[in-house]
Amino acid sequence: MRVLSEVRKYFANAFIIAELELRKIRHDQTQIWVRMVQPALWLAIYGLTMSKISAMTAYIPKNLTYLQFMTPGVLAQSALFVAIFFGINVVWERDLGLLNKLLSTPASRSSIILGKALSAGVRGIFQAVAVIILALILRVHLIMNPLSLLGVFVIIILLSMCFACLSMAIASLVKTRERMMGIGQVITMPLFFASSAIYPLAIMPSWIKPIAIINPLTYVVDAMRDLLATGNLSSLPLDFLVITAATILFLVLASLGLKKMVS
Amino acid sequence: MEEKAIVVQNLVKQYPKVRAVDDVSFSVDKGEIFGLLGPNGAGKTTTIRVLLTLIPPTSGETLIYNINTAKNSEDVRRICGYVPQDVSADGDLTSYENVLISAKLYGMPPKERKQRIQEVLNFLELTDRENDMVNTFSGGMMRRLEIAQALVNRPKVLFLDEPSIGLDPNARRIIWGLIKKLRDEFNTTIMMTTHDMGEADELCDRIGIMNRGHLATLGKPAELKAAVGGDIITINSSNPGCFQKLKEMGYSTIANSPDGHCDLVVNNGETLIPQLLEGLKSRGVMVESVSLKKPTLDDVFLKYTGARIEEGDTFAETRRARRAFTRRS
Repeated sequence: MRVLSEVRKYFANAFIIAELELRKIRHDQTQIWVRMVQPALWLAIYGLTMSKISAMTAYIPKNLTYLQFMTPGVLAQSALFVAIFFGINVVWERDLGLLNKLLSTPASRSSIILGKALSAGVRGIFQAVAVIILALILRVHLIMNPLSLLGVFVIIILLSMCFACLSMAIASLVKTRERMMGIGQVITMPLFFASSAIYPLAIMPSWIKPIAIINPLTYVVDAMRDLLATGNLSSLPLDFLVITAATILFLVLASLGLKKMVS
Repeated sequence: MEEKAIVVQNLVKQYPKVRAVDDVSFSVDKGEIFGLLGPNGAGKTTTIRVLLTLIPPTSGETLIYNINTAKNSEDVRRICGYVPQDVSADGDLTSYENVLISAKLYGMPPKERKQRIQEVLNFLELTDRENDMVNTFSGGMMRRLEIAQALVNRPKVLFLDEPSIGLDPNARRIIWGLIKKLRDEFNTTIMMTTHDMGEADELCDRIGIMNRGHLATLGKPAELKAAVGGDIITINSSNPGCFQKLKEMGYSTIANSPDGHCDLVVNNGETLIPQLLEGLKSRGVMVESVSLKKPTLDDVFLKYTGARIEEGDTFAETRRARRAFTRRS
């Protein structure tokens, strides 16, 4: 019984920290709108241009238009870009002494990290809703049944948590905002390009394929593409497994890193 | 023996390059306001961090209400409140929400929550601003809100890091009043750090001065002032021999006097000055000015830490302190 109440408390604390983020978004939505610009450009300019290139469209699954193929990739990208810079917030909060204040509450370290990761998930969800609406405006045909949308949101939350935890783990090593900014830039693009987000794995240079295979983002995009475009759910369990495992791994690393960050 | 609120026993905290806290022992009674003073880098913050279970001690033992901070850290955090030096209220939320989040993190049952938050906002006179965004608040209001956040759980021990830094004199008075009221009405034990000796003198029942990781002295402000040895006469003279001549006359000057000033510690300074001037004149020393000062905590501080207040400051600490200052004012 004691274990059960500890577990309940652990998640309750994480949800409180996520609630804080949600309340902040409620007071100030400008960030959500500003962050819509980039995915809009990817879809409306990059997507529409690339869909005219027949070499690209030849390799994507049959019966999919390029925009259908790409929308899940842009969904992943918009959440990824929010999450990967999440460590900067934590460094900032450490510099301000906010982190010490949070750590002086009874909440455990790893529940704080989980809470922060969930906060990234909360932001990711808002981002995802915006991208889906944008795609619908561009008349991209997506599977819109409630269950697959629910699946997409779960994936988005996991994706945000996964990379927010990675970002926080890195932040605990580099410890300054400036360096964190640089590292964020250095890792986002490779993660994004070495995945099937905007082109099929089949046309990638062969040396990059092994990277794509260990890149959690590949599985994220694959899962969302299955749910939103192809409707073929056979690889979904594997996708979930990989994303969940990566999230737990980074969560543990970030929790361990937090100890280093305050001492 | 009565149970103490805080016990620190042979505390050592070793970092790879420095020994931040080196064999420090002291205890704080329940309901006491205890001030920890010292230059930056003296080990105050490290001591507080160990007590708040943020970092583990290298050796030694710290207890809060008889709970070992290293072993039962969660139980310790449950009965403590902490107000950091920097602005720590969330500007993007209302003051009610700030306190609400704290209440939730301290695991307060939903039934009590609303009433408790109202109580604490009322205590800190923030009720009329409870639904306003915190980023519109003045420094003093922000500080009050942060104290409200720390108090909502009714902590037995409250840690205040530089409670009035960057506040105008008026706001500072209000905060001081609150701290006293808190102790008088709820018997809360308060441990604070400050660089403001006036503040320490005004509020603290006892004071510990730390320097280079050691506890240099400990006592009631009045005792400490008396121990500095009465009044201080400062003699200003461009004559380089002044220092020597005073020695010849049998007076001891206190350490670290900058050139050109000689500080003497004496009793009944008023009656001694004429005698002193006479003596110096007969030895050929020209005195430009003389001043008499009754001891303050500043003198106690200088005596135990030397005049090198700035020396211990690291870049990060200075930046933090200045930023805290500008953000509040």
